[in-house]
Amino acid sequence: MKALLFACLIFSASVAKADLPKPQQPPQRAAREVLHTSLEISTDPKAYEAKLQISESSLKELRAALDGAPGNGSIVGGISISPTRTIVAGLLMFMAVSIAGILLARSTSFGRTQKTVGALVLVAVLIGVAAIITRGNAGPPGSYRWRNLPQALAEGKPTFGGVDIEIVPDADSGAHIRLVMPLKKQ
Amino acid sequence: MSAVTVSQAADYAEKNPDFIPCYPQRAFFSVGVVSILAAAAFASWLPLQVSIVTLFLFAGPHNWFELRYFLMRLPVRFGRSRNFFVTAFAGLALLTVAYVSLPFVYNARLWSDDGWSTIIAGWNTALLFWLGLLVWLRSKQKRKANWTWTIPAGLVLASLNWLGPDFFSLALVYIHPLIALWFLDRHLRRMRPEWLRTYRRCLCLLPLVLAVMIWQLSQTTALPDSNGLFWRITQHSGAEVLPQVSSHLLVSVHLFLEILHYAVWIVALPLIGGVIKTVPIARHPRGFPRLVAGLLIAALAGVVVLWFGFSMNYSTTRDVYFTVAIAHVLAEAPFLLRML
Repeated sequence: MKALLFACLIFSASVAKADLPKPQQPPQRAAREVLHTSLEISTDPKAYEAKLQISESSLKELRAALDGAPGNGSIVGGISISPTRTIVAGLLMFMAVSIAGILLARSTSFGRTQKTVGALVLVAVLIGVAAIITRGNAGPPGSYRWRNLPQALAEGKPTFGGVDIEIVPDADSGAHIRLVMPLKKQ
Repeated sequence: MSAVTVSQAADYAEKNPDFIPCYPQRAFFSVGVVSILAAAAFASWLPLQVSIVTLFLFAGPHNWFELRYFLMRLPVRFGRSRNFFVTAFAGLALLTVAYVSLPFVYNARLWSDDGWSTIIAGWNTALLFWLGLLVWLRSKQKRKANWTWTIPAGLVLASLNWLGPDFFSLALVYIHPLIALWFLDRHLRRMRPEWLRTYRRCLCLLPLVLAVMIWQLSQTTALPDSNGLFWRITQHSGAEVLPQVSSHLLVSVHLFLEILHYAVWIVALPLIGGVIKTVPIARHPRGFPRLVAGLLIAALAGVVVLWFGFSMNYSTTRDVYFTVAIAHVLAEAPFLLRML
């Protein structure tokens, strides 16, 4: 009986212990993009050391982005962050375009051609504004500007393009600054 | 001055006994150009220092001259314009009270950043709605004018305001000084029509000067904002909203426009407005001379108090002034509409 009781205790203990939640692992810190800005890569035949030059305003902007300070982002970044405000803005823009369209259509001083042109301009402006706001008109991918980088470096010419600043864990970066260029093997 | 213009001026002087003989247009043009260039040079050279001195000297007096000008343009009886003026004064009072209460609302810290932006967007929308209402009421009095396009234009502005309330508010800061130039244009059209073309030629210089300022100052280093006053000045010009733009450029451009604004209200309009020597609502038999005199004396006392405040605590007085001064910004709208 005693042996049975002992066996039960051992079993229950192992069951209870097995039911314990795993000790919490520190969350895996992924790279986070904090800022999109511009970068120029240039060569200097007189320099003895590679240099990373950051303008004061860029440093301020980066610092603000790291601190998560609101309102310090780029102009486009400061627009339409809030869903509520975006909805209200969209409704107002819809009303503006609708009323403008009605007024244009009812206007007697306009000819048919002017009406068509006016309508086309309105549509173009609307699409343009919507595209700017949603950043849908990003144009070609960022790598497009960097496609001639090797050739430009060989010729000593500067190359200018966009860059995303990412903060990565030390384990991933080896505790140094890394510049990753979007270039494909040719 | 050509012979035709001289004869026109002579006719005008004959019909208007109060007419003060005008200076030659060439002198007017020269003064205008020199004033614009000097304002741009000072604003670009020492923006912070000149901003402090300019505000101290001219902020209060320009408000006094504005009040005097608005009283001059106020009819003795509103008549058909009753609805227009009631809407104007009611909106002016409500919007001013709402604006003055905003700092208290902000300090209550009941709002997230997003909520605060929504409050600002709401005030801006109320302002646009009020302006739209005034335009509609004014357009009813002008049968020939077709101002219906202002409805979609106002809605587009309201929409843009909701996308970026801070940018919209900053745009108001920069647009407000330019309204004085519009007032001067309308006033010249009535009082000195022969000067209008010269004045508009002077105005053509404005975008050129602004372009040169932007070209010269866009690469300058940011202004020091280490102390509270300098920080306030750079923030007022939009240094926080536009961090990519040099604060030197922002402060200089804003100061340049402000100097022109003060020059118009304190120098140009009183000189040209000399035709009307007294305020009609005070001079008229059914007018209110005591009320007008009381208002002007109270405003004069306000100017003295403002100078005293600037001398004691410049930063705080500056904050209070720019909060309360929204009333004069708003008041310009109905009086400008009456002149269109």
